[in-house]
Amino acid sequence: MSGTAELVAFYARSWINRDRSAARRMIAPDAEIEWNLDAAVDDEELVQTLHRIAAFADSVTVVSTTCAGDRAALVYDCAAPFGTVRMAEFVTVAGGTVSEIRQVYDVVALRRYFPGLLDED
Amino acid sequence: MSPPEVHLVCGTRPQAVRLAPVAVAMREAGLVTPVVVAGGRYPAMVGQAFAAFGLAPDVTLRVERGAGSRAELRTEMIRRLDALWTERPPAAALVQGDTTTSLAGALAACWRRIPVVHLEAGLRSDDLGSSFPEEADRRLITQVAALHLTPTPHAAMNLLDEDVATGDVLITGNTVVDAALAIARRRPPFENPEIAAARAAATGRRLIVVAVHRRESWGAPLDRVLAAVRRLVERYADLDVILPAHPNPAVRAQVHAGLGGVDRVTITGPLPYPDLSRLLSESYLVLTDSADIQQEAPSFGVPALVPRETTELLVEQASALLDSRVRRDAMTAGGNPYGDGLAARRAAQAVAALLGLADHPDPMPALGSHAAAYGAF
Repeated sequence: MSGTAELVAFYARSWINRDRSAARRMIAPDAEIEWNLDAAVDDEELVQTLHRIAAFADSVTVVSTTCAGDRAALVYDCAAPFGTVRMAEFVTVAGGTVSEIRQVYDVVALRRYFPGLLDED
Repeated sequence: MSPPEVHLVCGTRPQAVRLAPVAVAMREAGLVTPVVVAGGRYPAMVGQAFAAFGLAPDVTLRVERGAGSRAELRTEMIRRLDALWTERPPAAALVQGDTTTSLAGALAACWRRIPVVHLEAGLRSDDLGSSFPEEADRRLITQVAALHLTPTPHAAMNLLDEDVATGDVLITGNTVVDAALAIARRRPPFENPEIAAARAAATGRRLIVVAVHRRESWGAPLDRVLAAVRRLVERYADLDVILPAHPNPAVRAQVHAGLGGVDRVTITGPLPYPDLSRLLSESYLVLTDSADIQQEAPSFGVPALVPRETTELLVEQASALLDSRVRRDAMTAGGNPYGDGLAARRAAQAVAALLGLADHPDPMPALGSHAAAYGAF
């Protein structure tokens, strides 16, 4: 497993296992973060949202990871009691931490199967 | 300086049939350079499908057969597309439908911030559970696409219901209709010798094409169709039936047990796309559970019956159309709601507009409107 693959696997495992402090440590303080949700996002908002998803889901599975140099593309299935939400995440690593994160959620499924998630602040 | 490249990502034969007219339309318009990227497990089959339109893949990304699962195929396709686009970044990437290759293409493009165009966008089963992962994949493609080309107004409404911006959605019609019309217009000779012989011998007789392939139709539903076809052939002496059977050995055995040896019934294996398109254009009636054929047949003025009921009802409904040409013609008199044969041109212009190279095209006119121009064939 490449260094990038190991690092993103640890990052993914951290939030899936609801280990917020480990997930926070993996994200660089000045990381660039984007997602396709309406709310503004920074590293803390991202960690909190991922934590709520992991807490509500029956399971979160990384269904594919593609690495290219210092970049990785992951696809997750977040299985909730009433259905599964697919999410893609594009990650760049630098200096042993995640320096860039872009998340693309199936927003319709997220609203439907994770009720209230997008309403919380 | 040559026009900017737009990469058309293709992993299956049905995708090739839908993408080929778009590649041709892009080439004719000359505003962008279409580059066909064939990937997935069976790029050779994809190449054969493109060949029917005088095209060949420009780039072939071979994924080893060992990549058996969807996840492995998706991972490998993303990797290979990312490598391709590192060296040769297109101005836009066009993906079609909801296959694993479609999602891989969309995600690989998104990863490199290449604008994604989604052809045949907006289809929804509204049942994430039963059609997972296809439904999830097409929804995720929607999230990364910059331009959504929909086959029908209903598909466009699905996207607007999901808060996709109106300006990013264009109703083009389905390019599978363009493909069928293009092939039938050329009237290529039949490749399949059994079909060629059957059609040569069918002087003046009417043709019914029977294409029942969906897995849920296997078993008792297929038996009901076979029984209905036998009764129709017995009842109408001027009827020929051609039945391209599914390659599954059990299904083929079932078909042969039901209709093997029946006079004026020809059973074949899966047909090349040109053969099937030409047969549809020459049919009086089609019995099918195939969504593609249901969308293509009306373009030729051929009604498609979907056999979901009892043998008796199917015989009754088919007989009603066989007994009355007027009734049969009335079924398609309103045109084809799935496309007017100009979808690929709209798609090509919409992609050019996305890149700032053309004006935005008008959407496919609604059936019944003064602007609707059915009969491009």
